[in-house]
Amino acid sequence: MNWYNVKLIFQREMRDQLRDRRTLFLIAVLPLLLYPLMGMSFFQMTQFLRKQAAKVLIVGVEQLQGVDGLPKLLEGRRFAASLVDPSKGRDNLQLVWPEDLVKKQELDVDDGNSNERHADLPMSDRTAVVPASSGALVSDGVAATERMTLVEARELVSSGVVQVVLYFPSGFADRLQAARASLLGPKNQHENLQLQVEPIEPQVFFNSANETSQVAQMRVDRVLGRWRNQVTQKNLQDHHIPVGVVQPFRLKGQDVALERQRITAVWSKILPFVLFIWALTGAFYPAVDLCAGEKERGTLETLLACPAQRREIVWGKLLTVMLFSIVTALLNLASMGVTGRFVLSQLQGISGMTDVPLAMPPLITVLWLVVGLIPISAMFSALCLALAAFARSTKEGQYYLMPLVLVMLPLMLLPMAPGVELNLGNSLIPVTGVVLLLRSMIEGQYVMAMRYLLPVGVVALACCLLAIRWAEEQFNRESVLFRESERLDLGRWLVHLVRDRTDTPTAAQALFCLVTILVVQFFISLAISARSSSGLDFQFLVQTLFISQVVCIFLPPALMTLLFLRRRKKSLLLDRLPAGSHMLAAVALAILAHPVGVQLSEWIRQLYPFSAEVSAQVEAFSKAMGQAPHWWIPLLLIAVLPAVCEEIAFRGFILSGLRHLGHKWWAILGTSIAFGAVHLFLQQKISAAAVGILLGILAVQTASLIPCITFHALYNGLSLLTGHLGELLGDGRPHPLLRGIMQADENSVTYKGWFLAICATGIASILWWLLRVPYERSDEEQLQETRENQSKAIPVYPNPSGGDPGVVHR
Amino acid sequence: MIQVNSLTKSYVDLRRGRFVALDGVTFSVGAGEIFGMLGPNGAGKTTALRILSTVLQPTSGSAMVCGFDCVTQPALVRHHIGFMSASTAVYDRMTAWEMVEYFGRLYGIGEEQLRERMETLFDRLQMQEIRDVLGSKMSTGMKQKVSIARAIVHDPPVLIFDEATSGLDIFVSRALLDAVAELRDQGKCILFSTHIMREAERLCDRVAIMHRGRILASGTLDQLRAAQDEPDLEELFFKLVQNSEEGVSCGQGTVGSRQ
Repeated sequence: MNWYNVKLIFQREMRDQLRDRRTLFLIAVLPLLLYPLMGMSFFQMTQFLRKQAAKVLIVGVEQLQGVDGLPKLLEGRRFAASLVDPSKGRDNLQLVWPEDLVKKQELDVDDGNSNERHADLPMSDRTAVVPASSGALVSDGVAATERMTLVEARELVSSGVVQVVLYFPSGFADRLQAARASLLGPKNQHENLQLQVEPIEPQVFFNSANETSQVAQMRVDRVLGRWRNQVTQKNLQDHHIPVGVVQPFRLKGQDVALERQRITAVWSKILPFVLFIWALTGAFYPAVDLCAGEKERGTLETLLACPAQRREIVWGKLLTVMLFSIVTALLNLASMGVTGRFVLSQLQGISGMTDVPLAMPPLITVLWLVVGLIPISAMFSALCLALAAFARSTKEGQYYLMPLVLVMLPLMLLPMAPGVELNLGNSLIPVTGVVLLLRSMIEGQYVMAMRYLLPVGVVALACCLLAIRWAEEQFNRESVLFRESERLDLGRWLVHLVRDRTDTPTAAQALFCLVTILVVQFFISLAISARSSSGLDFQFLVQTLFISQVVCIFLPPALMTLLFLRRRKKSLLLDRLPAGSHMLAAVALAILAHPVGVQLSEWIRQLYPFSAEVSAQVEAFSKAMGQAPHWWIPLLLIAVLPAVCEEIAFRGFILSGLRHLGHKWWAILGTSIAFGAVHLFLQQKISAAAVGILLGILAVQTASLIPCITFHALYNGLSLLTGHLGELLGDGRPHPLLRGIMQADENSVTYKGWFLAICATGIASILWWLLRVPYERSDEEQLQETRENQSKAIPVYPNPSGGDPGVVHR
Repeated sequence: MIQVNSLTKSYVDLRRGRFVALDGVTFSVGAGEIFGMLGPNGAGKTTALRILSTVLQPTSGSAMVCGFDCVTQPALVRHHIGFMSASTAVYDRMTAWEMVEYFGRLYGIGEEQLRERMETLFDRLQMQEIRDVLGSKMSTGMKQKVSIARAIVHDPPVLIFDEATSGLDIFVSRALLDAVAELRDQGKCILFSTHIMREAERLCDRVAIMHRGRILASGTLDQLRAAQDEPDLEELFFKLVQNSEEGVSCGQGTVGSRQ
């Protein structure tokens, strides 16, 4: 690759984008305006919110008047000032009395069109229901109160006329009085007891489905709580009892986190998410303009016909998109920071979240964010570029934003979930790993961060390279570059698939096959898990295994081969018998791979321990398998059946399809990942993917499926045996030979280190030999190879006009 | 300088099934020669030229430019050609000067030399007044001039023009044809596709008449006229196409000569 050309293309694309007013607006102007605008509207909104006080209907207020020496709950038409949170002044609660609502109703009656209004006014003519607890309604002269009932209070709240109803039932005054009196002496103890048996409590009606109502309820709760304390204190004081009696001790929480740490804890969750969302947005629009836009404007062909290679073009564009992505994210961050500084103080005052530290994030946080932004931007940019290159027009390109966001969002949100922390498992998840690593960096846990820097880095790098490679792939495909807009016609397309069959499956067909397998598997596993809860017996196990192998894995590729392909045997690598040496290699490889595989599974299990659920499932599985009537049935079910079905699907159909990508290693790797994906548990997925690589190499180098099936059956069969070997070793009657090469502890049986080393060496030498066997290349692979070998001779200027230019080797 | 040997290109099309855009096309073009490809829209001209510019890959057959293979040595081929077609547009947000300079640099020309070369080109193509005009503000004729300057800035030995005059008024197209003729006189090897007979008559030393992906006849214009006994090129063209259609419908194969 010629970096001078990359630089040229990068500079041009930058200039081009900077001259585009739309892009500039989106990247630079929008964030600078957006946050101040948002802050302003937030400010406006909170002012609005402040004015809107929640209505609290107080019923039975007369109950409070009958008790002597009671601290005041109400001062006029408000709660007493001493009960309201001093930091916020009045509590935004508007108190209303039943007569207020009745007055309103009477006014409506006078209006003449009261009929409709009546429906939503709860003060209807219904006969008042007497609260159950009260003997008779207290008639203090307030007529409205008499008509106020519990049912109506409920309706008032649910219809939203008031947000909360605070109801003091009749007899509450007596209760308060009794509580006071109970302190006087032992003669009142009887009364006191009775009070506890049948307490008459004030009630708060609220609607938890309505946020305003819920907030108002919390505020009323707090006011009443303070009032209760005051009442208690007053009662105790009046009877000369120290206050400490009712509160022998008080629990005091001591937060050891420094304020700085609390602040970073909050920001380390929020900021990466916001930043990366902007990085994605910032990458997407320039990418669409640089690829789909160029196609639309007809300049792409101009560029493709110039000497710059496709890879250079992709890199030039990628760097542009990346720069835009980073700048967008940073500008948004800066603008958000500046606006946030002004809004935060306001926010703190209003929301009442005084215990949550909301201050500006420290500078070091921002620095780490910038560092983490680079790999994420690179990956997003490459993904956007590939999607944009695939799009025919800018319009089509924009459609791809949503699916991309839907895929990326869970990865970015996962780290925000409670309990998700940086560990080896999480660090291997793309994007999530980077976010988590970033979080520990921000929180200052450098030691932990350093430990996972390597896995996160490797995964991030691999994702970036894959995404870039995919983008390059898009630029190399003429069907993508010169796609004509064809009307989507499903029928015609299906006819075309069957009519214009290809010799071997295309990469797209391979992908489709995999997706079909996964979807069928998903539905069948749903159906099975619904039944398996009732118990797992051998017969059911046989059915399950048969269905999951034949229906899920074998049928889709088999049908696709029959329908869409011309050279069916060749596609499934069944057109020739393997050489004897190849078969021998497969058998040796399987035997040698088995101990290594056992060790690998053990490592994986240490890394990702089985959950209790999975362990139970595995146990139930082996138990059911133990019920087999003959020893060869499990062998058939676990070794032979999967070997045939899975090899036809993966090393047959899918590998053949992926080999049209032009590089055998990409095809082998892709097939292995697909092979891992169809396995049940995470632990199985990983070890299956590893074995998939061996199988892929076998398939490519021997050009036959028979060695693969042999390997697969033998490998699975040996794995089945290890279970029994464990029993043997555990029983204490081992074969001396096995004792020599194996070791067992309470929950696993593995091979000894020296034996593993021998096996690994054996595998390596067989692979070394296999990879030197001349293999059959697909057309695409041949082309790719010749191109990579093309001389790097580039002409030097000036060249004699008309003649062949001079050539130098760079 | 250009050797094309049984070049075939087929696509899969939803409606038509496997569609053969180019069907065993063979021709060669030497230095100092203008070779015309004549044919109606959809005859396969653009496909053939796109393969020569390495943007498309042939299904089978070979295409060589200056001894380099279009499939296996695409970067080298692109260094030796100037490609200009109706679908190679100019950048909207670049001025004429920037655009030509950009491509000049991509061809690896040194700064000093590039500036000299561009001054000469801009003078010769009378482009000095549109030097700082953005692509989006240019007329079709101006854009076409920029495209020519872009295609020849590295002084390539082989030039490929695909329907270069389409959409141009007579002044501009005349100027373009003059420029092409001038390039031929400099000894360039020029491949020129058009569906306008008069352009071919005026410009081309040899022509190939294409229809449905095949070359129906090729040679100098005089040779063709003599062979078909038809002095008028347009009539000659219709006659060839008609013969070919009849041949196809009678199942007799193609009528006409292949070089």
